[in-house]
Amino acid sequence: MELRTSELSVGYGKKTVISGVNIQALRGQIIGILGPNGSGKTTLLRTLAGLLAPLSGTVYLNQENLSAMSLQKLATRLAVVLTGKQPIPRYLTVMELVAAGRYPYTDFRGKIGGRDLEKIYEALRWVQVEHLADRYVAELSDGEQQKVMLARALAQDTELIILDEPSSFLDLKNRTEFLRTLMELSRKRGMTVIWSLHEVDVALKCCETVILVKDGAIQAAGPPEGILNEEAVCQLYGGERLKMNMAIGNTELDNPNAAVIWVVGGGGTGTPVYRLLTKHGYGFATGILHQNDVDYHVASTMGVKVTAVPPFSQIDGQAVAAAKNSLAEAKIIIDSGFPLGVINRANLELITEGVRLGKPLISLREAANLACPVHPEERCSVSDLILRVRKYIC
Amino acid sequence: MNVLQIKYQRYLFLLLFIGVILVFAANLAWGSVPLQLEQLWNGLTGAESDPVTRTILLQIRMPRTLAAMIGGAALAAAGLVLQVFFRNPVVDAFVLGISSGSGLMVGLVMLAGVTFGFHGNLPMVTFLAAFTGALLVMVFVLFFSCRVQNVVTLLVAGLVFGYLCNAINSLLIAFAQKEQLQNYIHWSLGSFAGVTWPQVLVLAVVGVPALMGTFILGKSLNALHLGEDYARSMGVEIVRLRQLIIIMTSCLTAAVTAFAGPVAFVGLAVPHLGRLVFRTDDNRVLIPAVILMGAIVTAGCDLAARSVMAPVELPLTALTSVIGAPVVIYLVLKGK
Repeated sequence: MELRTSELSVGYGKKTVISGVNIQALRGQIIGILGPNGSGKTTLLRTLAGLLAPLSGTVYLNQENLSAMSLQKLATRLAVVLTGKQPIPRYLTVMELVAAGRYPYTDFRGKIGGRDLEKIYEALRWVQVEHLADRYVAELSDGEQQKVMLARALAQDTELIILDEPSSFLDLKNRTEFLRTLMELSRKRGMTVIWSLHEVDVALKCCETVILVKDGAIQAAGPPEGILNEEAVCQLYGGERLKMNMAIGNTELDNPNAAVIWVVGGGGTGTPVYRLLTKHGYGFATGILHQNDVDYHVASTMGVKVTAVPPFSQIDGQAVAAAKNSLAEAKIIIDSGFPLGVINRANLELITEGVRLGKPLISLREAANLACPVHPEERCSVSDLILRVRKYIC
Repeated sequence: MNVLQIKYQRYLFLLLFIGVILVFAANLAWGSVPLQLEQLWNGLTGAESDPVTRTILLQIRMPRTLAAMIGGAALAAAGLVLQVFFRNPVVDAFVLGISSGSGLMVGLVMLAGVTFGFHGNLPMVTFLAAFTGALLVMVFVLFFSCRVQNVVTLLVAGLVFGYLCNAINSLLIAFAQKEQLQNYIHWSLGSFAGVTWPQVLVLAVVGVPALMGTFILGKSLNALHLGEDYARSMGVEIVRLRQLIIIMTSCLTAAVTAFAGPVAFVGLAVPHLGRLVFRTDDNRVLIPAVILMGAIVTAGCDLAARSVMAPVELPLTALTSVIGAPVVIYLVLKGK
C-alpha cells in the first residue's frame, strides 16, 4: 500500500494547522512523525487516516483519492490505533474487541465466520496476546490494552496502519515488544506503518523515513540518518537545556555552571560522574579524553569544557598544557577510575599535578593500583561522591 | 466468546422467555377480580361465556398488559442504544429532552387549555399532544445533530432543552386551575391504566418496527464501543447511524410517553441489569435481552402498582424508581 499527499493542508474548520504537506509512504516502510506537542502531528495523522477532511490538497492511497473512497472500502485499506486511553465497556472481552476489527468484512448481523476467526487469531498471535482472548479488556494493564488495540487494527487486515503515539504509555519492556512487532509487520507482511512518536532515538533506530513537523509546516522529511542531527533536534523541540547526541542516540541535560571540579575521565568511567554532578548542579571541566570515547560524547553534549585529543592518538604536550591551565581553576579533582592504557598515561601526570597544587582528590578507583597509587582516605564510591564533594564545595 | 458463555446465555434467554409468559399470565389473572387459569384460557380462546370476565380480560387487562410490555421493551431498548451511542452509562431516552417535549405539550393541553385544533376526548388529545411534542424535539435534535461534531454537545443540548421545557411547564403550573393540575400530575406520574385497544395498536405500529430496527443496529453499536473515530475507521457511517439512532429512540420513547407518561428508570436501569446478568457488552446479545427484561420489569411493576395497595393505584414511576435507583447506585459504587 502506497500513500502520497499532494499540497495537503490539514486543520479544523478555518484553522489551518499544517500546510504544504507533500509526503510519500511506500509499501513496507515505517514512517515516523516527530514534532513538539501541539505541532499538529495528530491532526496530520487523522487527515491521512480519513478521519478528518483535508482543508485543501489530496491524500492518495495507491493513486486513488482517499476522500472519494467509501468508508467501507477505506476500512479495508487502512487501520488506525489512536492516542489516549479510551473508556472501555466493563464486559468487553479481548476476543470481542479484536473481532470488531472484522467490521468491514462481516454481514449486517456482524456474524464472525471461519475466515474472520482465522484473521482474528492471526492478529492475536502477532501481538502475542492469544492467552488473553477470553479476558475483559478493562481488566488488562495499559501495555496489554495497547497491544490489544494493535491486534484489533491488524484484524482489519489492511496494508497500511496509522498509529498516534502508540508507545507513549508503555513501559520499557512493552515498548520494545511493541516496536519489534511493528518492525516485523513491515518486514514480513509488507505493511506500511505511519506513526507519531516523541522518542528521537526510537525514530532513529526504527524508522526508514522521518517527518519533522513544526510551526505549521513540514520542516524536513527523509531518512533519519540524513536529517536527524543534533541541530535539527534542538531546533525541532526548541529545548534550551535538553541536548541530544546522535552518535550515542542519547539526550543529556546541559550543564552551564562554572567549572569548580576537574574530572579525569576515560573509557566510560566519567559518564556516571558527569551525570551525577550535572544532576546536583555542580559545574565541571573534564579531560583528557579521546574523541572516540563515550565520555567525550556525553561531556560535550552537556556543553562542559572538555580537553580532548583525536581518536587513538597519544596525548601530547599541548593537550597536557591546556588541561593543566584548566585544572588550575578547579577546587577539587575527581579521578573517575579510568582504565590506564599506553596512550592516556598523561592523565596520571595530571592527577599528580593537581595534588601538588594542593587540590583535594576524590578517587573512584576500586582497589589499590600499583600504576596509580591512591591514598585510602581519598577513595570513595559513586554513591558517596556527592556527599564527599559537599565537604569541599558548599 | 467461549462455548460455556454461549450456553449460559442460551439458558438465560430461555428463562427470560418463560419470565415474559409468566408475567403476562399474572397480569391477566391478578386483580380485583382474580381469574383462574382455566378462565384465562377460555377467555383467550373465546370460549369464555361470562361477558364480565371477558370484558375484564380482553378490554381492560389485555391491552394494559400488552402496552406495559411493549412500552417497557421500548424504553429499555432505547436506553441501551443511547448508552452505547453516548458512551455514557447514565443516559436514557429522557436526556435527549424527548419526555420533556412531550411534557410541555401535555402541559399546554391540560394546564393552559390549548387544543391545537383537536377535538374529542381529553385522553386522545393528550396523546396526540405528547406525541407531537416528542416528534418536535426529535426534529430539533436531528437538526442539531447534523451540525455538531461531538455527541457530548448533543447530550448537553438535550439536557438544556429539557430544562427549558420544564421551566415553561412550571410557569404553566403556577397559573393553572386546581382540577387541571390534578390531571396533569396524574399523567406526569406515569401509568398504563385505562389503555385502550386503539392505543395499543398505535403503540405496536410505532414501537414494534422500531424495536425490530434496533436489531440491525447491533453490529454498528459494537463498533461504537471504542468511540466514533474508531467506528468511522472501521467503515461506520457515523452521521447516518446517529440519525437512525435518534429516529428510532425518539419513536420508541415518544410512543410510550404519549400513552403512559414519563416512566422513569426503565431505560436507565434495565440495560445495566442486562449487562450484569448476561456479563457481556455485545449489543447483538444485549438488544434482545434488554427488550425481554424491559417487558418483564415494566409489566411486573405495573402489576405491583395496581395490586400492592389495591384499590389505590400507585404511580408506576414510583415503583420503577424503587427498583431502578438501587440498581444504578449499586453499579455506580461498584464501578468506582
